[in-house]
Amino acid sequence: MRFKASIHNITTFTKLTASLNSLGPLAWVKLSDEHVCFTIIPEQGTQVWAVLSIDSIFETYTVQSAAGNVINLEVPLTSLTRALKSALNATSAQLRLTKKDSAPLLALTIAVANAPNAHAAFPATAANNDDGFDAPFDSAFGSGNRETIVTQEIPVRVLAPDTVAGLHEPQCREPDVHIILPPLLQLKSISDRFTKLAMAGVKSGAATAPSRTRLEVAANMHGCLRLSIKTDAMSISSVWTDLNNPELDPSQVTGIAEHPSTRMKQLGTADGRSDEGWASVRIDGRDWGKVMSVGRLGGRVIACECECALCFCHDHALILYVYLPSDNGEDESVLTYYVSSYSA
Amino acid sequence: MDDEDEHPILTCVSSSARQLYLLLRCINFSEKAHVQLSEEGIKFSVDEASAMEGSAFLDKSLFTAYTFRTPPPQRNSQNSDDEDEEDTSSTPTFQISLPSLLETLQIFGLTDPNTSKPPWARENPTSTAFSNTVLGMNNMCRISYDTTGAPLSIILTEATIRTTCNLTTYEPAFADEIPFDRQSIAFKTIMRGSWLFDAISELSSTSPEKLTMVARMHRGKPYFALSSSGDLGSARVEFNNNPYPSNRPPPPPTNPNPTDAENGPQPTPHLLEIFKLSSPSSTLRNSYKFSLIQKAARAMSVATKVSVRADTQGVLSLQFMIEVESGKICFVDFRFVPLVDEDGDDDEGEGEETMMGDGNGDEGPSARARDGSLGSGTASEDEDDDDDVEMLT
Repeated sequence: MRFKASIHNITTFTKLTASLNSLGPLAWVKLSDEHVCFTIIPEQGTQVWAVLSIDSIFETYTVQSAAGNVINLEVPLTSLTRALKSALNATSAQLRLTKKDSAPLLALTIAVANAPNAHAAFPATAANNDDGFDAPFDSAFGSGNRETIVTQEIPVRVLAPDTVAGLHEPQCREPDVHIILPPLLQLKSISDRFTKLAMAGVKSGAATAPSRTRLEVAANMHGCLRLSIKTDAMSISSVWTDLNNPELDPSQVTGIAEHPSTRMKQLGTADGRSDEGWASVRIDGRDWGKVMSVGRLGGRVIACECECALCFCHDHALILYVYLPSDNGEDESVLTYYVSSYSA
Repeated sequence: MDDEDEHPILTCVSSSARQLYLLLRCINFSEKAHVQLSEEGIKFSVDEASAMEGSAFLDKSLFTAYTFRTPPPQRNSQNSDDEDEEDTSSTPTFQISLPSLLETLQIFGLTDPNTSKPPWARENPTSTAFSNTVLGMNNMCRISYDTTGAPLSIILTEATIRTTCNLTTYEPAFADEIPFDRQSIAFKTIMRGSWLFDAISELSSTSPEKLTMVARMHRGKPYFALSSSGDLGSARVEFNNNPYPSNRPPPPPTNPNPTDAENGPQPTPHLLEIFKLSSPSSTLRNSYKFSLIQKAARAMSVATKVSVRADTQGVLSLQFMIEVESGKICFVDFRFVPLVDEDGDDDEGEGEETMMGDGNGDEGPSARARDGSLGSGTASEDEDDDDDVEMLT
C-alpha cells in the first residue's frame, strides 16, 4: 500500500478541510487513481460526499494497493487542518502514507523557504541591508536553496474494503425544484442573522431550553429562493428573485416530461409573491451555517466563482452541490451535502 | 402589502433603513418597546423598571411617504394619559420586540462581507458608479400596520433580495409614563451632546452607583456639575460658562476625545447655551442611578445638542437632538426618576464645595478625580474617599 502526492493547491485544500471539519471530526478519505473522495457522516446533521479530481489538489500522485489501487483511510480532520495551516506559506508540501511503530500515519512534509533578509540567526544580518554585499554572501552559503523542512504526522486508520462496503451515498427521489444559489457568503450572512434573531427570541423566553433554530428554506422553479424563520416575537423571510433554475440534461435524466420539477414549473410566479409552487424544507440554522462555510472556498482562491445548486425534495431533504472548477475545465470536483428536513 | 379594500392604518416608506436603525439603537435597552402611531409620526418608547424611560420619535418627514388613517375607535389605547398627544383616544399603541426590529433593520449592508473589501476584490462587482449603493440608498424600507392586532410588517429591499419581517404586536403594558411637570421646571440647560457623553464616560471609569447633578448660580455665573460616587471613589465633572477670555491654559484633556480638537482653542460662545434656574439663589441637587443614565450614552454620543431639564420633583428629562442625514432633525427623549436622599449628610458637605476652576479657567468639560492627585481644592470633604484611592494605588 503506497500513497504519495505533492499538494498543488494548499490554500484550497486547507479551506476545504476546515469547512468539512465544521460538520464532523472524522472523514473517510478514499484515494483512487482518478479521485479523492472525502465523506463525512456525522451522528447528527449534514452528510458530505465530496468527490475531487486529483489535479484540483494534488500533483505527482501515486497510489498503489492490493485492493485495486484504492486506499480507504479514516482521517481526523482537526489534525489535518492544523497541519495544513502550517503549510500555508510553504514552497512545497508532500503528503505520504507511512508507518511508525506499526501505526499508520499521514506525513505532511513542508518545505519553507527562508526569505533572504530573514536570516535572523546570522550575525551579519546588517550586511543584508546592502545589496552589494548581499549577493556574494548568499551565494557563498548557498542561501538561495536554504529551506526549512517540517514534517507533521497525522495518525490515521486504514479501513478495510469490507468496512466501507456498507457505506452508500444517500438515495433521494427526483427533486421537485433545483436552483442555482446566490453568492454563498451573502446567503450565509443573512441566514446567520436569522439564526441570531431566533436565538434572541429564545433568550427572552428564558424557560425554554436552547432549542434548535428551524430555518425554512424554500425555492420555486421561477428563480426564487426564500429563507424564513418564525419565532414568538416575529416571523421574517427573505426572498431572492432572478436566480437561475438550470435545465435538466435529457441525456442524464429520463422522462423529463414526468419529472417533478416540470410539474412545479406550472406553479408559482417569478416575483416570489405567490404561495404556490414552493418546495420547502426545514433545517437546523446552525447546521446550515456550517454548510454555508464552504463559501470560503469560492472567491479569490479559485479564479472562477464556484457554482452551487440546491435540489429540493419537498418536506424531505435538501441537496447542495458545490462545483469547484478545475484548471483544465473538464474534470469537475463536486461536493455534495445532504441535509435532512425536519417534519413540519 | 398593497392597498386592498381595507385601508391599512399605517404605511410608510423610508429610503434608508440605516437612519431608522441609528435612531432606534439609542433606546435599545429593553426587550419590548411600545409603539405609538399617529398622524405626525411613530413613537417608540421603552421603559426600565419604571425608573427610566426612553423614547424615539420618528417624524413623518423622515419618510419619503407616510400615510396614516385613524382606525375606527373600537379599542381605546391604555396609555391615553400621555400629555404629549392631544387626542390619544384613537392612537394605535402596541408593543413589539425591539431587538428583533433592530436586527431586521440591519439585515443588509452592515454585515455584507463585500463592503469590507475594495471594489476590485469583491465577488460580484454589482455596484457601478450610478447605483443606489453609492447614494447610501440601497436599503429601502417599508413599514406597514394593517389593522388593530395585525403584525407590524417591515419590508426591506436590496437589489434582488426582498426581506419581509412580521413583528408580532403585543397588547401595551399598563406602564404609566414618568410624570414630568413642564409647568414647574426647576432647572434647564442646553449643551452639546458629546460633552455630556464625555462627562458620563469619564465618570463611568470608577463604576459608580449614583450620579449627582448640581446646578446653581455662582457669582452671577452658571455652574453645572455632575459628580459620581461609588465603591471605588468619586469624581466630578464641572461645566462653567466663562464670559471672559481664558487667562490661563486650559486644563490638560483628561480623555482624548474628538471634540477637544475642534472646540479647544477657539472661543466657544458658551458651554451652556441656556441656563435657567427657577430660583437663582438656591442650589439644585438631584441624584440618579448611574447605570440608568449610562443607558442613554448611545444617544449622547450621536446627539448634536442635549437639553437637560429637571422639574421640582427631581425628575430628569434628557432631550437629545439628533441630526440624521440631509439635515433632518430627530428627537430622542429620556426621563429618569431621582434617587431618594436617605440621609442628608451629602448636602452639608457638598454645599460648601468650591469651584475648582474658580470660574475663569475651565473651558470645556474637565473631569478630575477629587481624591488623590488633583483634589487639593476640595480636600475638606473627602477624607473617607482618600482611603479608597490609596488602597488601589
